Amino acid sequence: MTILRVTQASVILALVIVTALAFDFTNGFHDTANAMATTIATGALKPKTAVALSGVLNLVGAFLSVQVALTVTNAVVKIQNSDGTPKESLTANGGEAMLLIILAGLAGGIVWNLLTWLLGLPSSSSHALFGGLIGATVAGLGWAGVKWNGDGTKLDGVVGKVLLPAVVSPVIAGLVAVVGTWVIFKITVGIAARYAQRGFKWGQIGSASLVSLAHGTNDAQKTMGVITLALLASGHWTSTSSIPFWVKVACAVAIALGTYLGGWRIIRTLGKGLVDIAPAQGMAAQSASAAVILASSHLGFALSTTHVATGSVLGSGVGRPGAEVRWRVAGRMVSAWLITLPAAGLVGALLWYAGDTIGGLAGAIVVFALLVVAAAGMWLRSRRVRVDQHNVNDDWDAVVAPAEVAAPVTVAS
Amino acid sequence: MWNNVEFSFEAVWKVLLVGLVLGAGLPLIFALGIRSLAWGSGGDAEVHTAGTTGTRANPFGTVLGWFLFLVVLAGIALGITFIVASGFGKQLSFEHIFPTIVDKH
Repeated sequence: MTILRVTQASVILALVIVTALAFDFTNGFHDTANAMATTIATGALKPKTAVALSGVLNLVGAFLSVQVALTVTNAVVKIQNSDGTPKESLTANGGEAMLLIILAGLAGGIVWNLLTWLLGLPSSSSHALFGGLIGATVAGLGWAGVKWNGDGTKLDGVVGKVLLPAVVSPVIAGLVAVVGTWVIFKITVGIAARYAQRGFKWGQIGSASLVSLAHGTNDAQKTMGVITLALLASGHWTSTSSIPFWVKVACAVAIALGTYLGGWRIIRTLGKGLVDIAPAQGMAAQSASAAVILASSHLGFALSTTHVATGSVLGSGVGRPGAEVRWRVAGRMVSAWLITLPAAGLVGALLWYAGDTIGGLAGAIVVFALLVVAAAGMWLRSRRVRVDQHNVNDDWDAVVAPAEVAAPVTVAS
Repeated sequence: MWNNVEFSFEAVWKVLLVGLVLGAGLPLIFALGIRSLAWGSGGDAEVHTAGTTGTRANPFGTVLGWFLFLVVLAGIALGITFIVASGFGKQLSFEHIFPTIVDKH
């Protein structure tokens, strides 16, 4: 009986790890746009070159983050002690209770990431992950399992780590980008356009690379923390001051591959949909993003890369004299941000109930199967109107042509 | 709740300040660099009346331009040092005006 229990828990653990890496992968392609959308839109880099560069820098970034992000869930839910060990009440039976919460939470995050990708909306992957975890925790432990405000001694809880940063980050990044764009256009008035473009292309490539590197160090860490938490809960790992090396390698590779895949739908929205961007604006936007992300993580005020990047792009549109900003597109994005947390939470909670009702290994398998079905469905739906490296830069207002339509045949006359 | 709001406002103005200095300041220097290079090469690099040859080349502009690009590169190097340092549990300190790497506290 005991042996059977242990084996069951190991299979659930394997499902959790696969799901966590799948989340990391979606995190990668969801956020390619944050660094590379404007670089691709202005033609500073060819689409494939841009995603390859960003993928490599994410990989490097993920390895640079040796800091242990074991307490990642502590910001929003109470399933870990302050030293990172899982709560004892959740570790019985090979940690099944903890594993189900993590599995349902991750699945909720993935479903929301895929849905927003299908709609071409940049939304925060960290919010999706936190939303899923909060939903699964509420379902599993009740509302008391959620940490809303922390203990008042530091910025903490759902309000301090998720909601407030989400409100202020696009505004800060936007302001910086407005100022940056405005001064660049003032300074370069009177320089021949072609001459200036060439210079700003290099500026864009540099600043976009910096954003990619920062993204790798910030985001891959979260998945590493979640997988290590699952290993701790099931008793396969005991240290709270280090993470297994294979976890680091797997997460780094997953986020880099995801980035290389390129979320073309989101890249298109951010690069072409919000504003028609010129190289100088692109450089101003990426510099603003890089500076705000680095400054905030230095101060422990973690901001979502997605919110920062979107704010920057909008700001670069406002700051350029005579540029058109499509506020309707921006409005759609903001509404997606508002419902990210509750929507991912709802999916996480429903999946937890499904898994818990069925129970044990069968429950976990059902959660995983539901996730696979949802993911496959959305992927098939995305094939109807494809967006890829060939049509990512088409005019926004024209109808998106399916990528596979053959080039028009030129008739010799 | 209100504690969190206060803490975030403390952080916000710092992020905004650093963001403006690095995120708008470095692009400003970069733009000045491009301006100087254009001034340095003269001719068609700057907008001029059609039919004329434009301003003459000025080597000083070229030197100034590349100097400004070096300043920007130094800024980027600082950014990368910051990412790498915080990855290894260190942080940049500006106590002595120029940046030094210290242990995270």
